Amino acid sequence: MQLIEHPSSMRFADKTIVKPKPIAASLAVATCALLGAVSPLAQANPDTADEWKFDTAILYYGETDRVSLVEGVVSATKDFGDEHIFNGKVTFDGLTGASATGAVPQDTVQTFSRPSGNGGYAVAAGETPLDDTFKDSRVQLNAQWTQPLATDLRGSTGVHVSKEYDYLSLGVNGSLARDFNQKNTTLSLGLSYQFDSIDPVGGTPERLGSTSVLNSVSDYDLYDDYLDANGSGNADFDAHASQYESREGAQDKDTIDVLFGLTQIINRRTIMQLNYGMSVSDGYLNDPYKLVSVVNNQGTVQDTLFESRPDSRTKHNVYWQTKYAMDSGVVDLSYRFARDDWDIQSHTLESRLRYNLSDNSYIQPHVRYYQQSAAEFYQPFLLSDQPLPTYASADYRLGDMDAYTVGVKYGQKLDNGDAWAVRVEYYQQNPKNAGFAEPGQLAELELYPSIKALIVQFNYQF
Amino acid sequence: MKKIFKLALVAITVSQAVGCASLGVQPWERDLLAKDEMSLNAEGVDLGLDDHIYFSKEATSGGRAFAGGGCGCN
Amino acid sequence: MRKHAIREVSIEVRGDHICGRFDAMASPCEVLIDAIDSQQALALTQAIATEAWRIESKYSRYRDDNIMYEINHAQGQAVAIDHETQQLLSLANTCFELSEGRFDVTSGILGQVWQFDGSDTIPSQTMIEACLVCSGWENVQLADDSVRLLPGYAIDLGGIGKEYAVDRCVQLAREMQPTWSVLVNFGGDIGVTRPRQAHPYWQVGIEHPDPARTTQMLVTIAQGGLATSGDAKRFLLKDGVRYGHVLDPQTGYPVKDAPRSVTVAGENCTQAGLLATLAILHGAQAEVFLQEQAVTHWCLW
Repeated sequence: MQLIEHPSSMRFADKTIVKPKPIAASLAVATCALLGAVSPLAQANPDTADEWKFDTAILYYGETDRVSLVEGVVSATKDFGDEHIFNGKVTFDGLTGASATGAVPQDTVQTFSRPSGNGGYAVAAGETPLDDTFKDSRVQLNAQWTQPLATDLRGSTGVHVSKEYDYLSLGVNGSLARDFNQKNTTLSLGLSYQFDSIDPVGGTPERLGSTSVLNSVSDYDLYDDYLDANGSGNADFDAHASQYESREGAQDKDTIDVLFGLTQIINRRTIMQLNYGMSVSDGYLNDPYKLVSVVNNQGTVQDTLFESRPDSRTKHNVYWQTKYAMDSGVVDLSYRFARDDWDIQSHTLESRLRYNLSDNSYIQPHVRYYQQSAAEFYQPFLLSDQPLPTYASADYRLGDMDAYTVGVKYGQKLDNGDAWAVRVEYYQQNPKNAGFAEPGQLAELELYPSIKALIVQFNYQF
Repeated sequence: MKKIFKLALVAITVSQAVGCASLGVQPWERDLLAKDEMSLNAEGVDLGLDDHIYFSKEATSGGRAFAGGGCGCN
Repeated sequence: MRKHAIREVSIEVRGDHICGRFDAMASPCEVLIDAIDSQQALALTQAIATEAWRIESKYSRYRDDNIMYEINHAQGQAVAIDHETQQLLSLANTCFELSEGRFDVTSGILGQVWQFDGSDTIPSQTMIEACLVCSGWENVQLADDSVRLLPGYAIDLGGIGKEYAVDRCVQLAREMQPTWSVLVNFGGDIGVTRPRQAHPYWQVGIEHPDPARTTQMLVTIAQGGLATSGDAKRFLLKDGVRYGHVLDPQTGYPVKDAPRSVTVAGENCTQAGLLATLAILHGAQAEVFLQEQAVTHWCLW
């Protein structure tokens, strides 16, 4: 625009350029769009909509003396314009280490066969039995497509595939979100279906079937030594191996999830979300590697059985989240209440507090508290003088427990628009006795050891 | 003028039907809510990793999103 | 219903340029053409006039056979709209957002209760509030191919229409005669296609915003747009307070302490017109606002 003012016209305003022209520039762009002309300003601000955005992370999770996990994620998002958004995510993880089997510790050495049926391992006196054969890697692919369907209505649909050595999970999901009240209120409804198939190493064990524990070999620290000394032709062991051959193969389960969501903008600084979710699983819900010890009134193990869980589970949960924008950061507070027909109830309280250290860096402490009550069939051990129940699991994850996480994250935005962040967290689980009397030697042993884990994660966004 | 009042009445009824008139913000008041970190899905990768950890270590899952974990860890 | 103006085009050869004339949008319109071919100049003027009349009949709120009537009388139903209407309403939406709600094409209803005839008649608070309930762009649902108003709401594109028509005609002139410099002047709202050949700029007389002046205001413009908002003759005087005719859609009252008129030079006429209107909506801060926008402007207080 060029314009020369006529000297005889009106009083001239001061034409000093004070600030960049936010409105004038925006209006120029808007009016040029209207007139079908290309505004030079529109060219100067290339739309970033058609670029892929990558969000990557690598996470280390390590428990003291137990499992450690390394997980990598690459998430790629592209906006194809008009809010047609694709997200693809690849997750890899590698797990190694030992996991609690559910069997009780003893004041003598215990030996267990490996899940594969080949070989065994011994557990020292007083130690919680851990299965150290956990070594698995997993790949997961997710794809999600989101787009507007009509005014104020969005649809989203996605699929996932996850594969690990003995496990396959396939899922599809779809959801609709409708905005109301000038997009201040959003109602959403989501449905997902998941099919899981597990092909346990060594076949699917019989429910509450005996693992044929080779009883305490207190002369040997490790069962492997025992094998070395006796050769594999051990009759006891061969009988055991043949039992494995008769086991069933792959098992599967179906899970349907329904999720209702209400998101409400409260005011300029506050947004709130309330979700109700229901999840119904049918099929094989056991963990084929979990065991239950049968003890006599002295607390001495008589037998070790494979666990048995019901073959259906219906879970309900309510999740509430609020985010509040401070001048210098964000407060994020959430609470979840969940219960299911296994009689598990849980409360989860979580908070993240983002504090901006500068325009392009922040620090974010994180705390989480979780508490759950035991499943009705949870039993830390079975008593040999009692009849066998239909369902029993000694998996501490189904018992009374509380857990907390404390952590901190630091993030920085780089001049080129990329961003990185690192977080370090400490997670501790404290299983509790859900009111079970501990006969004999068990009273002296640690049946509910705490699990302590360190989480370190590095993110990079570009 | 009578017409205006009639129309006003209709408008009031409609706005009440829509509800929550006192909650929410005008489009130009979305400056803070529009920030990335105020999005409910901010740090989506972190949340996904956390969901995976807690899914495999605790009896409850879901809430924020679908409960399915997609892994054999539970 | 207003009587439609006589649709007639005339041209006049004036020394180094040709001036085409016609009436549209209740204003005298002129087209200044930097050329000597009167045949082609007439053809261009006719094309421009046809376009101006088209826009006038399409968006006038004084007709009952156009899209505006359909939108405003849909009783809460969504109305299918064409691309042009969608673009105009999107611009209205952009202005609403940029102005933080102060520029609102649904607030036209307020103009019906305020009579700016120089008298001291101020509408009652009840009346104003009734109007406010029936206005608010935030309640308009604008989609890609439809728009839906709440019953009782009405859109008035008077604040954009004339400037938009100027820009469309400038565009048309650029397409028809890319080498010519053409100035389109619809009642003081001006757009120029490109600088002239011999002299770089046009000189046009527009009605002086100050009614105390009997002469025209002379404006010199080479390229771009120029528009004036506000009307120094339309006001209310009550208890010594002077109420200008630009209404604040949030209060329903005239903007306090605003300049009587603002003229802005911009990249195009629509942008200039919107900046002028937004400036007045800033009241006493009008000039500060315009300085921040770093645009050439004149304020008459």
